[in-house]
Order: sequence, then structure tokens, then C-alpha cells
Amino acid sequence: MKPVECEFESEVLSATLQSRWPDRVDADLRTHVAACAICSDVVTIGGAFDYAREEMRACAVVPDSGRVWWLAQLRARREAAEAAGRPITAAQVIAFACAVGLLGACFGATSTWFQSALAWLGSSVAAFDAKGFLPSAATLVAGHGALVIAVAAVLFVVPTAVYLALGRD
Amino acid sequence: MTFTDVSRAETLDDASAAFVMDEDAFRAFYERTARGVWAYLARVTGDRQLADDLLQETFYRFLRAAATHDSEAHRRNSLYRIATNLARDARRRRLIRAPFSVSCNDIERIPSSEHGGAAERMADFTRAMSHLKPRERAMLWLAYAEGASHREIADVLGLRPGSLKPMLFRARRKLAALLGRGPDKGKR
Repeated sequence: MKPVECEFESEVLSATLQSRWPDRVDADLRTHVAACAICSDVVTIGGAFDYAREEMRACAVVPDSGRVWWLAQLRARREAAEAAGRPITAAQVIAFACAVGLLGACFGATSTWFQSALAWLGSSVAAFDAKGFLPSAATLVAGHGALVIAVAAVLFVVPTAVYLALGRD
Repeated sequence: MTFTDVSRAETLDDASAAFVMDEDAFRAFYERTARGVWAYLARVTGDRQLADDLLQETFYRFLRAAATHDSEAHRRNSLYRIATNLARDARRRRLIRAPFSVSCNDIERIPSSEHGGAAERMADFTRAMSHLKPRERAMLWLAYAEGASHREIADVLGLRPGSLKPMLFRARRKLAALLGRGPDKGKR
């Protein structure tokens, strides 16, 4: 199996990075590097990386640490506020749905008109005639247009309110 | 102030308390590591502008990570691991636009007698690095520019230490050949 590392590798790399290569190292090490493909590669790329690292670090323009800290704080606060707002929004939706349900129940319990309409609806369902459904439906719409419009409005308003509330997230 | 307002205010206070270190410790750590992380990101992504963006994101995620570090080296490895993952994500999203525009522009700081040699040397290095895969660039930079151990490199890159050695060997050999001074010169 072809070796992938050499025991002198780190020593050669240290010499390269400390600018001791090739003049200020043992002759034995130079002889080894001349015969070792791995150490030869280390010398080649070690010098290149050393130079590139110094060059890159010298020309790096990084933001001030105080600015990075301040921006991180701002972002953390914004994210925390968003996270805190999420359950509140959900609670608002649930409260709105409960309020609508409660109002509907109160209205149903107190309105004689609504109760008679319910009774009429019950008897209509019991006496449902498929053949006579369409004429009956037409009669219902014509006779109780306001009720139909109110039901349609509720069916539209509730999903829209839920959508708008959740859409803010 | 309602109960909700109190709860929200407490959450906002918790946001800064959730950082893994206080401001003084962070600033000292940043001063020690920011330039190195920027150089790493610039070399791995090949894009200075992207490196600027990812640097801030790296430190923000580091601060928000609920991790405890038992040493400076451990903390530093975590930072480089975050930087590596961000660079990988950016590559997947194809945010890396123009590879290898990373050479330093302020060549004026180099003495005039060295301009030609320095520029040519960096151009050679940049050109050679551009032929490597991002992971090869990352492992070579960590090993030879940052002086990281095999275990640290494996930890940062999410590799098994056992599989790192042959990968590092191949990457090193490839780069040496590309630089034109290694034993594989002329094979490519």
C-alpha cells in the first residue's frame, strides 16, 4: 500500500513555515526531502500557503468587533420578538374564532326568528324531496336573501381573518 | 403593561443572554480569529464579497449556538465548522459566482521591487487552488495555513480522521503538481 504520510512531515512543515527551509535545517533532512515525495510536496505547498496566508490576512478588511456584536444583538432581539409574536398570533386567532362562536350561540339562543328558521330548516331536511329541491332552493334564496348574504359573508370573513392573522408570520 | 408585554420584554432580554459569551470575551475572540476565518472563507468560496457576508453570519451563528466550549481550540474549531457549513450551503445555493477573485488588491503595500514576483506568486497559487474541489481547498488551507491537526480538520469538515489522511495526501499531491514544482509535474 502506498504511504500517505511521512514521519518527517511535520518537521519539514515547521521548517518551511518558520522560514528555516532549506538553509537552516539539517543536511539529513534535506537529503530525506529530496528522496521523499510526501515531504517534497509539503515543502512545495507549505511555502505557498505560508505566503498566501500572510497576504490574505494582511489584506482582509473585517468589520469592527463592536459593530459585529451590535448587529448580532439587534438580530437576536428581532428574532426573539418574532418568536414571541408567533404564539400571540395563534392565541388571537383562537380567541377570534371563540368570540365568533359565542356570538353565534347567543344570537341563536335569543333570536326567535333564527329559531323558527332552524325549525323550518329541520322540517325541510326531514321532508327533503330531491326532485323538488331546486325549486325550493330558488324559493329560499328569493324569500331569505338577507340570510343567504349573511351566511356567505361569515364564510368569507372568517377564513380571510385567519389568513391575514397567520399571513403576518 | 400587560402580561403579554412583560412576557415579550423578558424574551427580548433573553435574546442577548442567549449568546454563548459576553461582549468583552466575544470582542477578544473576534480580534483573534476574524481575519483567519475571513481568509479561510475567501479561499474556500473564491469570492471576497461572499466571504464578507459569510463572516458576519458565521460569528452570529457562533454566538447563538447553545454550545459550551472547554478550550480555545474547541471554540475555534466550532467557528470554522460553522464557516465550512455556510460556505457549503452557499455553494449549494449557487451563490458562489466568480471563483477566485480573492487576490489582494492592495499590492501597493509590497515594496516596488517585489511587485512582479509577489503578484505572480499569488496568481500562480490562486490559479492552482482554483483547480481543486472546495473540500480539498478547505482541508489544505486548514492544514497548511491554519496549522490544524488531522483530528481538528476532520472535526471541522465532518470527516472521519481515518479517511482524512488519504484525502489530504491526494489534495496535497494535486496542488503540488498544479504549482508545477512537485513530483507529479507534467502528469496533468
